[in-house]
Amino acid sequence: MIRLLVVDDEANIRLLYTEELKDEGYEVVTAASSAEAVEKLQGSTFDLAVLDIKLKNESGIELLQKLVKERHNMPVVLCSAFSCYKDDFSAWLADGYVVKSGDLTELKHEIARVLAKKAQKGKAGEK
Amino acid sequence: MDQECCWNRDVIEQGDCPNVDENEEDLLVSKRQRNLEKCCECPRFLNELQRLYDEGNPLAPVLAGFLVEYRRQKTQIQSLVSFLDNKTLEIRFLHELGYVLQSSVDLDEVLSVALTAITAGKGFGMNRAFLLLCDRDEGVLKGYLGLGPRNMEEASRVWNEILQSDMDLQTLAQNFRLNKLSSERAKFHDVLELLTVPLSNKDHIVIKALDGKRPIMVENAFQHPDVPPELANLLGVDTFLLMPLISRNRQVGMIVADNCITHRAITEEDMHSLETFGFPVAFAIERASLYDKLQVELNRVTEAGKKLKEQQELIVRMENMALVGRITSSIAHSVRNPLMIIGGFARSMLKSSPASDPKRTFMESIVAETRHLEGVLDEILNYSDSLYPTRDFWDVNQLVETALRDSADMLTSLGYAIRYMPGHALPPVYIDFKQLSYCLRTVLQNDINGNGTDRTIAIHSRSDENCVILRIEDRSRLISQEELDRLLVPFSETSDLGAGLGLALCKTMLQKQGIPFDAQSDLNDGIRYNITLPTLKEEQP
Repeated sequence: MIRLLVVDDEANIRLLYTEELKDEGYEVVTAASSAEAVEKLQGSTFDLAVLDIKLKNESGIELLQKLVKERHNMPVVLCSAFSCYKDDFSAWLADGYVVKSGDLTELKHEIARVLAKKAQKGKAGEK
Repeated sequence: MDQECCWNRDVIEQGDCPNVDENEEDLLVSKRQRNLEKCCECPRFLNELQRLYDEGNPLAPVLAGFLVEYRRQKTQIQSLVSFLDNKTLEIRFLHELGYVLQSSVDLDEVLSVALTAITAGKGFGMNRAFLLLCDRDEGVLKGYLGLGPRNMEEASRVWNEILQSDMDLQTLAQNFRLNKLSSERAKFHDVLELLTVPLSNKDHIVIKALDGKRPIMVENAFQHPDVPPELANLLGVDTFLLMPLISRNRQVGMIVADNCITHRAITEEDMHSLETFGFPVAFAIERASLYDKLQVELNRVTEAGKKLKEQQELIVRMENMALVGRITSSIAHSVRNPLMIIGGFARSMLKSSPASDPKRTFMESIVAETRHLEGVLDEILNYSDSLYPTRDFWDVNQLVETALRDSADMLTSLGYAIRYMPGHALPPVYIDFKQLSYCLRTVLQNDINGNGTDRTIAIHSRSDENCVILRIEDRSRLISQEELDRLLVPFSETSDLGAGLGLALCKTMLQKQGIPFDAQSDLNDGIRYNITLPTLKEEQP
């Protein structure tokens, strides 16, 4: 099963993501902070991470930079309340970007697209 | 004694003495005064004296001695009186000149006064004068202004005019400055050009006078070893005066004066008078030049002050905008998350509720309203972003491709065909990339749900003078120009928050960057957008 790590400081959002993404057939693990995310990443592997940009007093962008550096095989989709980050250089490191919305269609679509792209890359690497 | 001579009479009648004029009635009744003023010069009195001498009167030779000495002293006194009168006139003139020079800080006015004073009949009465000024930056003594007639005909006309007008020095100078300064400058342009001498040319007579800080009367100019033949030929006179203008030991310039028309000899006295005149002129010129420089600096400081004030206002405005931005961001974050949770769970519940559930309508309302509020939030945040654009040079193709990538899936799923025709060798454009890509996305997505049958969107880019023009043609949306214009006005009837503010916001964003945005609509052909992107930084407001 495809494993997703969802990082968001809002408990209700973590719950919503978990419910909705489980329905899509993913295994979902959540983290409320950067530290918790790093801890969970150390114990196991994930196929994709969904990151919030604002994590209470932390920056999701910093966590993104860390993940890209240390876990370059794991794609990251940024999910933020701020649409302005979409065209921000710092956010361009991510593989996908969605603006938070009650309608999770775009997020699900983006996760599927990024995973498909990763799978395609993997196949190309095997060849 | 000859009875015809009246020297010994206390009172005489008019006509008794041929030397007493009609207006000298006081001499008729004053023997002493008459003896002193008239008898000494009178041949009849001298005849009387001769007769006394011939008669052997011992007083006659003594009286003759006194008479000779008296006449000598009288001549001397008359000469001194004349000299003093001249000096008084000169002092009066210098006083008038000093007053005029003192009251002016305009260089051209000072120079007009100076040259008028040298050439005016009531001044120093020279026929012609040139003024040369030291240019330290270029290291030359430069011909600046000339004044005087070119020939006898002009001289007669001008001097006659001056004589008849009987103007004082200040009026003469003002008249010259207003009516003749430019024409005189043009008239002597060739001479002034040639009168420019490098300050390093120490052998040149003009530089010698300047360095020596003393006036030089040049005579036999055509044979003078220190006078270059071209200077003598240029002036066309054998005698001229060089008067250096020195102020506080600083070389200010030089006056070259001559009598090229009348050829009246320039006297030592002329030279000394001009020397006296040189100091206030040099001082006034230096003061006017300093004032000019001061004015330039003052303008610069004023301009800098203005810019500083603008910058201060800008900083305050930016701080205010940044504060607005921070507040908006904070609100967005606080509002969007709960909205997302409400909308998300409502959708989740809706998904799992049976079609017969009577509460589905409530959940559908929650979903619709949260979607609408999310739209409002997007537009508020985008407007907040538009308040402070961050511009840089960007590639137009990258901009278009980014916008297309973000919109492509949605557009193709709705059956739209997009054609992008990039222009050849497009220069980078100076824009806020984020805002421009938002605008392009908005324009493209605004076209969705068009009512026309032709679902083609064509994008062209081409380079023009100092800009790149981006043209978007959409044949799917057939609306009138009036409807389109309404869409471009924020908060108009057709553009409620969260439902169509996008185009108006785009226009505002582009306007803030000084980017022209033109939208034309035709009910048959659809909408054409022209966005003119600047390629120069200076083009920005």
